[in-house]
Amino acid sequence: MMWKEEDRLPKVGMVGNPNAGKSTVFNLLTGLRQHTGNFPGVTVEIKTGRMRFPSGSEATLIDFPGTYSLYPTSSDEKLVAAVMTNPADTFFPDALIYIADVTHLERHLLLLTQLLDLNLPVILALNMSDTASEMGIKVNAAKLSDQLGLPVISISGRKEDNIQRLLSELEKMLKAPEKASEYKPFYKLTDQEKQITDAIRHNLSIENPYRALLILHHHQWLPFLKKQQKEVLDAIAITKDFQSLRTQVDETLDRYDKFMPIVRESIHQPPAFPSTTTDKLDAVLTHRIGGPVIFIAVMLLIFQAIFDWSGYPMDAIENGFGLLSEWVASALGEGWFTELLTDGILAGMSGILVFVPQIALLFLLISILEEVGYMARVVFMFDKTMRRFGMNGRSVISLISGSACAVPAIMSSRTIGNWQERLITIMVTPFVSCSARIPVYLVLIGLAVPAVKVGGIFNAQSLVFGSMYALGVLTAFLAGWAMKKWLRTREPSFLAIELPEYRMPHWKNVWLSVWEKVVAFVAGAGKIILVVSIVLWAMSRFGPGNAISDATLTAHQEAREMRLDSTQTEDFVQQRRLEASFAGQMGKSFEPLIRPLGYDWKIGIALLTSFAAREVFTGTLAVLYNMGSEEGDINDRTENAAKATLRSKMKVETFSDTGQPVYTLATALSLLVFYALAMQCFSTLAVVRRETGSWKWAAMQFVAMSLLAYFGAWAVYRIFS
Amino acid sequence: MQRRYRTIPDLKTNESARTISITDATLACKLTAMGVLPGTRIEMVRTSPFGKAYYIKVDGIRIALREEEAASILLEV
Ligand SMILES: Nc1nc2c(ncn2[C@@H]2O[C@H](COP(=O)(O)OP(=O)(O)OP(=O)(O)O)[C@@H](O)[C@H]2O)c(=O)[nH]1
Repeated sequence: MMWKEEDRLPKVGMVGNPNAGKSTVFNLLTGLRQHTGNFPGVTVEIKTGRMRFPSGSEATLIDFPGTYSLYPTSSDEKLVAAVMTNPADTFFPDALIYIADVTHLERHLLLLTQLLDLNLPVILALNMSDTASEMGIKVNAAKLSDQLGLPVISISGRKEDNIQRLLSELEKMLKAPEKASEYKPFYKLTDQEKQITDAIRHNLSIENPYRALLILHHHQWLPFLKKQQKEVLDAIAITKDFQSLRTQVDETLDRYDKFMPIVRESIHQPPAFPSTTTDKLDAVLTHRIGGPVIFIAVMLLIFQAIFDWSGYPMDAIENGFGLLSEWVASALGEGWFTELLTDGILAGMSGILVFVPQIALLFLLISILEEVGYMARVVFMFDKTMRRFGMNGRSVISLISGSACAVPAIMSSRTIGNWQERLITIMVTPFVSCSARIPVYLVLIGLAVPAVKVGGIFNAQSLVFGSMYALGVLTAFLAGWAMKKWLRTREPSFLAIELPEYRMPHWKNVWLSVWEKVVAFVAGAGKIILVVSIVLWAMSRFGPGNAISDATLTAHQEAREMRLDSTQTEDFVQQRRLEASFAGQMGKSFEPLIRPLGYDWKIGIALLTSFAAREVFTGTLAVLYNMGSEEGDINDRTENAAKATLRSKMKVETFSDTGQPVYTLATALSLLVFYALAMQCFSTLAVVRRETGSWKWAAMQFVAMSLLAYFGAWAVYRIFS
Repeated sequence: MQRRYRTIPDLKTNESARTISITDATLACKLTAMGVLPGTRIEMVRTSPFGKAYYIKVDGIRIALREEEAASILLEV
């Protein structure tokens, strides 16, 4: 296993306050050699990467979430505290790089002093030295190093300054860990705290006093404590009359009192902060009226991007795969293996890659908004609105990311401190139409909605497309509101968010973030799509016993009786073969359940297969309707990708018993609603399970969304038919 | 009797005042970690578009607070 080797490498953690520039330095040190870590047996994802020292030796670099202190209020901050207090943790670092924003050093050292008291080997990297020198800030690193008792290096993650020195210092630290013997705590424990840590050392043999103190503060939720240990800690807290919150504040203030003078002595700062560009921009961007208007304009731009701009590369990818599979078919000749390649594997791969332009474009826009610092403003502006619906201002980021893909969107909810608000965000995010729904929408809308102008300006098809998004967002909010009414817990909830300085995006960060998300999609959802597509091919190619060959024989006979020409015969035979296959049988048995929604058994198969990943829908229909008709009109193929062909084939489809056309406006709308509301993505369910800690919420989400989709689709079908 | 303190919602736009203390313990913990300390100067920059959230400035950093959060920071008159 590759991980075995990784485990033996020294582990270096990156810590610091939010916006200190951790990710920038992390990206700089690891480049593309990063992964969202699945260390064995770890339930939370943390980003790790491989870094290399000038000497050639390597280390695993761990990017911890940004936090202000080891007294956390959100689950990603809790993660930092949980790892740092548990030397047995897989992520427990051998050394730390502490990234501090040197332009605000007096508020970036609190966490550092806490980590020092845990006796962890730390290097202080004073980041943003480029901005600091522009502002006329002068740092005496030697003095700082002397006073704090650790190596201090001025760096710039953006300008890549001094990184080599940071690395060699770090390597030195990893090689000579004996320094740890002389432990001089930064914070002097109070008498009460001393008694307490003595008691904890005695009972749980935790030697480091500050670690003991932290464990007592957090014992209710720390995951590595055993039940019996928690009881011991409970007893200590009660007998010593331990006031956790008060003590935390006192300790924090005491630390400030100690390090503020140190900062003042070693940093020369110009007297006042002038009014900056950020203030001028915010006067417009967070303006009472202008702010929301600009936000809506930005969202429309994003919408435009997914609807319009990504169409070209998508068509190109589909056409490319079409040509490739034709070439494969002609090169290999007929046979089940060729079919497996073209209809199973290539069709599946095309189904995956076709989403890449959209996902990439969306995450490009989102990560630019995040990089420049705009997202924090959105959180500020819409916090109140989101709270009405049981969420938090921070949920906006999840919902916006959800328009690309629900998986990273749900992971981004970790910054929400309040569990209920976070849970609601996780539960409703999948309602936002993700990019996987777009091809489904496009096919169905193209089929049922005429391309006419409404009111002179709007294209009817775009209007319906837009309404599908509106439906998703609206349902998300309604569901949030309903869950809020239902859950009602009283747990403190915070906004308290720092609004960072506006900055030009650092493109390296942007590209890496887009790359990371695309890779995660292709590797995660992609695998499922590919497997489903192969299974589907097999199910529609083979049938029970001799069913397929029997069906072929009778179909040929009937075709001769009906005097069909050769193409018609071919299609007719394929139809019959499909009906006789495993997939056909399954779809048929499934038909009564979906008939009230206006669907036939073919749609049934498509629905069934797309429960793993909804993007399979179009692929399935393409497989179901296209089989054997590959020799169709030349014009058909050159003009457009499979979609147009698929549409024309779907148009002539009729119910086998009544002879009514299947794809009426009512059916198409009903399907649209179904796809907008249903939970059809294994990857999302898996990530919901991981982020909520149990299958309970994932199952509930699945059932609730499916029922909503079913009845929503049913209602729409009744209204329009 | 005259109140001996104010809170952020009492401040006018661009007005500033020194903090005395924070009444809510959990919030105090969070805000002190972010650098809102007793005795620092808080400037009210603006309120949010919908409902009341406050955009404040503390020693050159900018923080957004909810109404309840803003109201729990006691300021000198
Ligand atoms: N001028 C300057 N800007 C920097 C430097 N390093 C990072 N930045 C910018 O600072 C902002 C925050 O950087 P990130 O790397 O996202 O910060 P972070 O610490 O990972 O933030 P969280 O992910 O919120 O914890 C980004 O806009 C960066 O481009 C630097 O050395 N100089």
